[in-house]
Formats: sequence, structure tokens, C-alpha cells
Amino acid sequence: MSSKRHSIVPPVSQSGPKPPVQFSSSITIADSAILTGANLITISTESVIHPRAKIESLAGRINIGRRCVVQERATIGAVGSAGKITEAAVTLGDYVTVEVAVSIEAGDTIIGEGTTIGVGSRVGAGAVIGKHCTITPHSDIKAGVRIPDYSVVYSNGTRRVDKRPVAEQLKYKGLARQIDVLRRMIPSNPAKFM
Amino acid sequence: MSSRRAPRGEYIETDTGNKVARKATLVGTQNIMLGGKTVIQPEVMIRGDLIRSIQSSTSSSAAGAPPNNTAVAIGRYCFLSRGACLRPPGRHYKGAFTYMPLRIGDHVFVGLGSVIQAASIGSHVHIGARVVVGEFAIIKDYVRVLDGTVVPPNMVVPSFTIIAGQPARVIGEVPEGGHEAFELRELYKTVGNNPHPAPS
Amino acid sequence: MAPLPFSPYTFIQCPCSDSTLLARPADAKSPTGADAEEDERTFDPRAPRSNYSLYPLEYLLYCEDCHQIRCPRCVSEEIATYYCPSCLFEVPSSNLKSEGNRCTRSCFQCPICIGPLSVTTQETRHPDANLLSADNAATPHSGGFSLTCSYCHWSSTEIGVDFDKPNGIHAQLAKIRNGGESRLTAKERKERRKELSHRGDSAAAAAAREEIEEQVPDLENQFANLKSFYNSQLADPTAADNGLSTLGDLGFSSPSSLSRIMNLYTGGKISDNKAKSRLGAIREALTPEEGLLVANLDEAALISQLHQSEHCDTASMAQITSQPPNLGEPALHGASRFTSSLRPIPHLLRTKRSKRCPVCRHIISKPEPKVQTTRFRIRLVAGSYIPSISIKPLTLPGPSGSSSSNPSDLLISLKPVHYLLTFKNPIFETIKVTLATPAATPGRFPSKVTVLCPQFDIDANTDVWDEALKDNDRSDKSSRNSGGTTRQRRGTEAGYQLEVGKIWERGRNWVSIVVEVVPASLRLEDGGMLREDEDILEIPMFVRIEWEAENAGDDGGIVPGAGGKDKDQKEKRELAYWCVLGLGKIKQN
Repeated sequence: MSSKRHSIVPPVSQSGPKPPVQFSSSITIADSAILTGANLITISTESVIHPRAKIESLAGRINIGRRCVVQERATIGAVGSAGKITEAAVTLGDYVTVEVAVSIEAGDTIIGEGTTIGVGSRVGAGAVIGKHCTITPHSDIKAGVRIPDYSVVYSNGTRRVDKRPVAEQLKYKGLARQIDVLRRMIPSNPAKFM
Repeated sequence: MSSRRAPRGEYIETDTGNKVARKATLVGTQNIMLGGKTVIQPEVMIRGDLIRSIQSSTSSSAAGAPPNNTAVAIGRYCFLSRGACLRPPGRHYKGAFTYMPLRIGDHVFVGLGSVIQAASIGSHVHIGARVVVGEFAIIKDYVRVLDGTVVPPNMVVPSFTIIAGQPARVIGEVPEGGHEAFELRELYKTVGNNPHPAPS
Repeated sequence: MAPLPFSPYTFIQCPCSDSTLLARPADAKSPTGADAEEDERTFDPRAPRSNYSLYPLEYLLYCEDCHQIRCPRCVSEEIATYYCPSCLFEVPSSNLKSEGNRCTRSCFQCPICIGPLSVTTQETRHPDANLLSADNAATPHSGGFSLTCSYCHWSSTEIGVDFDKPNGIHAQLAKIRNGGESRLTAKERKERRKELSHRGDSAAAAAAREEIEEQVPDLENQFANLKSFYNSQLADPTAADNGLSTLGDLGFSSPSSLSRIMNLYTGGKISDNKAKSRLGAIREALTPEEGLLVANLDEAALISQLHQSEHCDTASMAQITSQPPNLGEPALHGASRFTSSLRPIPHLLRTKRSKRCPVCRHIISKPEPKVQTTRFRIRLVAGSYIPSISIKPLTLPGPSGSSSSNPSDLLISLKPVHYLLTFKNPIFETIKVTLATPAATPGRFPSKVTVLCPQFDIDANTDVWDEALKDNDRSDKSSRNSGGTTRQRRGTEAGYQLEVGKIWERGRNWVSIVVEVVPASLRLEDGGMLREDEDILEIPMFVRIEWEAENAGDDGGIVPGAGGKDKDQKEKRELAYWCVLGLGKIKQN
């Protein structure tokens, strides 16, 4: 079964010139991640970009905080329906997890620290999601919506306040461990994007 | 994608009858086990690179055998539709983080764009389109997951159930006469480099 | 208009909807119920009753002894196994009586979103200990355990419930109220009380008693109290001499009146009655100990709480109704208004059931009792006895028929369309199929229907290996010019004229025939509205199959259809039923 090649990854056309990037030396970015656009993409300490994750800076700067995980097929900075160009298209705080096939649209969109965006969700342009939120899979956060800290958003649009005692340290430690493992598994190739 | 027509046919057909689309993304192929006669359509993604980082205590003690690095094991006659994504589930275990293998039985259909992070999926399972199966979910045999379902992490779905909803709940039972509908032999024939037409 | 594309369907009518057929087991001569009048009556798929008798083929079973179709509505079910859908443990039926139909291990659902709850260690309990979290992790599970929803992260700590052990959560939860207060189960309460009554009336005992009574009686305890109270009333012999004999005659709630009434009907002696009628009526419960619960009509506290809470703190109807009954939470007496009083929901058990024919009582479906196996000991499904019917729109090259190729396309009124019906024979004998449809569909908008070939034979379902070989042969030839082209050729050869009485195509064990339909005009003279689903073109079709079966000795069972013929002889069998073909939607103009 095992072929000589370690992966079958069909090439993806990199449209346009490489966007300017500012990477921390400790990040992990898969060779097959896709970075496009003309504006600066900043990825901070120990963040992980999975294969086939897509970061577009067409509509402004993209800021990814520390120890963020962007999973495969997620699109950060998608030019949404609004299509407006802003200074900071998308800003992810520290410890943000963006799961598979999430789309975060550009336009001053902010995701707060410690928030997890569930599989297949969409975050509209200009939405501001607070800290430590949980967005369940297949949710649709409409453009411009503000979601307070510690919210749980269900896919049917209802919300709830997460009343658990705050346990940031624990969560952060968990994420750090996960990132530790991912760093060993995902061959990082930041040079490709520089 | 690339505009150049692939002259060699859309699929790679292996000795065991697997049909793997050239435009599928398989990361870490050495850790992906295909049982044979399995179809992997274009734009499918399988994360074979996310291997277990802690060997379970029982297997490591077993006569120093080489570590089993299988990340995704798929049985026979499975069908992964376009855009599906298989990814091993990960968790914290004894103070460390590790991915665990994702095991899929025979005759498992995975619909368009579904994301599977289950611990195990039995045989004769139909997963519709745009389904999310959360981490460490266990889906037993003869289960039908309707389109758009979100199976929450750790959920156990017993045999002969039909589930739907976000989060998933049991909404029905697979009737006795519906077992044969899970067979994917015919569907297997309809794709590949020289597909047979679907039977009328 | 139609967000979902229409996919053609076939529903089959179970004979149980015809009460006369159930009353007498399928007659040897006419399992078809071939009375003249019945034949003339066309089955109307839109009749209100039809909803309850039409099933897709997969849902139908077949009784080999009655030679008849059986549906989920008419079979009688017997529960073989109870099990928890989450831990997949079998629950003995004896436990069911004492513990109810929910899992008593540690399987719970989230009261907010019904996602599964898992037991998690609760290191997070002391937010002030954050800085010491490394040390905390070292000491094993210092903070106890809680149930956490893996979907929405609800945690039992939100209702103030945590556990000492990670297992036996159900038993632990029964002793904890929301907020962490401990709660006595009915059994404990009884024991405690007994203990107190044994000890004298010391001050300490009185205080303890007070403590018990002070606990708001929850539903479960109240029920237990009431039950024991009435049991003692029934058993108490002194109640009989309680005076009140005249009132007792009027009492309806006494065991004596009940027995008197029973005696009236069973012809007991009146003198006896008189003696018994002196029994007093059972009195009502008077104290909380006896199960009296005074309704709390003062809802001021509740209202003020509602004022202070947000929308997401109040429980939705779905959340309240999914709460199990007899919960230990006093707030759930009526219905809980706040999410803070919801309780984790123990998983409802599921069952494996065997099914019996309603007429001859033979088992027609029987699963293996073990929870983890998916095998069946007996599984007589209709699909292995009667032909399946699949529907495909037929496109013919021609001036008019070129556009309507998409099956999801709407049908255009008065424009003839053709459908290909493919019958697949599941049995090992050649079958003869006879079809009958009304010339026009029933209902307000009759569409015209013509079955071009109402009678044909289908070859036997031969060995699977033959199929594989033949399939290879055929597909080799036809893989280049697919089946579609052969059909087209045939259409042109016939000069775009479908031959009446000829089958369209045949294979090893299948036959395709053509049905011509002229969809009705949906125009209403009085400009009224269409009723629900009136734009769907449904054709009732009577299917009759005849075949010769080997009368292999059905030892033990009486074969109603056999009629005492020789065993070696081939025996003629027939089966007839109505089915409904849903072909498409007619376009509304």
C-alpha cells in the first residue's frame, strides 16, 4: 500500500504574487497551505497552519495571534459579499482554533482570544467574536454581528453564556501540547511563503 | 485547478481495486490503509499525517513490535465523495496530546463535503452530504446519517438508527428491508477510468 | 416553488388496511381478494386512509405462511433486548421494572442541546488556583468530576452538581439536588423515618425528623409517599370499623364500593354486600408524609427571578419536554422555567424487537438478541418476495420530447410524458406480472395513464455468479455505447412510436416497460387554491404476480395456499397488491 511518496497533494495554482508575510520563527506552516493577496499576513509565535488552509489578504491585513491553529480548508480573509477593503481584514487573537472548512470573511473581522470556530462555520465580514467563545459546527455568524465573551453559539442561531469557571490556563496548556504534537507531524516550510 | 487535461485518466487504480482520484489530497499516504475496492473522489482530503504520538501501553509492550502508525484505516467498498475530509481525532491523554486512528469498516459512503473525525465507523454506514462527525464519535453498523447532520464529539450511534440534526439525535430506525441499500458494490462500478453505467 | 428536486417513488399498500383481508387469512383461491366489486374499486392514494397503509418496499415484511405482505403497522412486536444506545449495555427486563426505561450507568444527555455528556475531571473548579494548576494536575482529580457536553460545553457545574467518583453517575446524581444540596431518595427517607420511630421521642430525633420533612418533597418522593399511604389504607383492617358507615355507602373511593360494583356484575350475594358496605371510605392524604402537597400559589419569587434573568437562562419547551419525568428537582413539579433547574437527561433505552405476523402469529423478523450483533435469525422482508419497481423518465429523441430530460423538471400540463418502469424479480422462479391502472388518476385533476405493456414475464433471479459473469459480458459490450444509446436507437427504429404490448427492455431478472402519462391541467375554474400535494402526479397501480413455486415441505406449518396438493408438484402462487407510483410534479401556471 505504502507508496514511495508520502503524500498525494495535487498542486494548487498560486494566483498572483506572493503576499508579504511576517512570520514568527516558531510557527508551523504546511507546504501546501495557500497564501494569497497583496497585504501583509502576520503569523505570531507557535501558530500552526494546516495543509490546504487558505489565507487571503486581498482585502486587507491578516493578523494571526499566538498559538492559533488553522485547520485544513479553512479560509481566513475570504472576500465576502461586502467586498470592502479595510486596514485589518481579519484579526485572530491568541489561542484561536479555526476548524476544518471554516470561512472567515474579510472586513475588520475580529476573533477573540481562546475562541474555537467549529467545522464548516462561516463568520461574516466585520463580525466581532469575543473571548473564549464556542461556535458550534455549521454556524453562520452574520456580517457585523458582535458576540460577547464566553458565548456558545449554536448552529440554529441561539446563544448561551458559558458559565463554567474560567480555566484559561488549562485550556492554553492543552493547546500548547496539541501544537507541540502538530509541530512534529506537519513539515513546516515557511521559506516557501517568504 | 490545473487546466491541463490529465491524459492518464482521472483515477489511479490500484492492484486491490482502489480507485483514487488524482485530484484527491492524501497527506501521509504511508499511514493510510485502504482495504480495496474503495473509491476516493477528487478533492477528498485524508490526513494520514496525524498519527498517534503516544503508543498505548498494551501495544508498546507487545514484544517490541514496530509502532503501528496507521492513522486512517478504510475497509472495502467505501466511497468517499468529492470534498470529503477524513481526519484522525485528537485528545489529551495522561497529560499529553495525541491523535488516535480513525477506523472505517466496509461499504461506508461519505457524502459531499463531509468532515469525519470519528474514532470508528462500522460497516454499511451511509453518511450524507455536509455532515460533520465530531471527534471520537462511534458510529456502529447499518447507520444512516442524513445530510447536514452534526454528530457531536464522543457520541455513540447504535446500529440500525437514522440520525439527523445539529447536534444529532436518533430520528428513526433502519427497516429490516433496508439493509441491502447500504451495499456499495454497484456504486463502485460506476466510477473510475472506464466506468460502467449505473444499472437501471 | 419546489426547493427540493422531486425524486420518483413507489409505495406499496399493505393489505392490513383492508379489514376484510385481515379477518380471514389469505384464501387459497384468491389471496388477491378477487371479488368482482373489489376489483372495480380503484384505490385512491389521496384518500385520508391511504397515508396509513402505503409504505416503501424496504419497510414491508412478508409472511411466508400467509403469503402476504405485512407492514410495520400490522405486525405485532415483541421486545427481545433493551439496551442503552450510548454504552450499548444490555439492560435485563427485571431492572426495567425497578429502574425505569433509562440507562442507570453514566450515560447522560445535555439538558441544553441533548448532546452526549461525558465525565470529565474537574481541575477547573477553583479559578483562584490557576497559578497552581501544574501542582493541581499532579494530585489526581482533586476537584472531583463533572458531566460536560462535548458539543456545547455545558457542564453540570453550572447547576452546581459534581461527583466524587467517575462511575455510577446515575446513582450519585439521584442524591444530589441542583446546587449541590444532598437529597434523600425515597428509600432512604423511609429507612430514616423507620429508624426514628424506633428510637423514642428524644429531642435529637425530633430535630432529625423535622429535617426530613423540611425537604421539599419532590415528585418522586411525593409519589412514593402517596403510594405507601394508600397501600396502608387498603391494608388497614381498622379502617373498616371507622364508623361513617352511612357515608361509606356513598363513597366511591373505597375498596368496598369497588367490590360491591363488581359483585353486581358477577352475581354475588346482596347480604355479603351489606356487610362489606360498612367499610369506610379511604380518607385523603392529610400530611406531607402521606403525600399531600400544597400548591404554592405565591409566584412572586419566580417573577422577580424572571425579571432578573436573560432569555438564555429560561428553558425552552423542547428542553423541558426532554427532561425525564419523576425528577428529583422540586422546580420541575410544574415545569422548570430556568435552565439552572434542568437536570442531565439519562439516556432512554432502545430495543431490539422481533415481529410476528398478525394473522398466523409466525415470527417474520427476529434479530439476534445480543446488542452488538447486527445479524437476524429470521428476516422475511418483502423485497425478497415481490418485485421492486424503479421509475425513470424516458426521453425520446423527437420534436417535443427533447427538453424534459431532467427528472426534477416539472411536468407540463397536457403534454404527454413517458416513464420507464423497471421491475426486478427477486425470486428464483419466473414470474408473470399483470398491471392495471385506472385510465385517469383519481382526484380533482385526473391525469391520463396508459401502461403500454400491462402483462409480461420476468425471468428468474438466477445465481449471483451467473449475474456477475453476465454482467461482465454485457458491460464489456455496452460500456462504450452505453445503455442509453441502445434505447435511443430503438426509439428511432420504431419511428418514435412506442409499440403497445411490447416490453421496452429486458435483462436477466428485470424488465422495463413504458407508461405514458398525460398530466392533468391544474387550472381551477373557480380560481380556488390547490390543496397540499395536489400537483404531484401519483398513479395507483394494481400489481398481480403469478409464479409456480416448488411446494417444498413446509413441515410443521399449515400452508393455507397449498390446498393439500402433492409435495413434488409445482404449485401455482399469486400475490396481488396496490401500489402508488409518484412520478413527478405538475407545473402550476
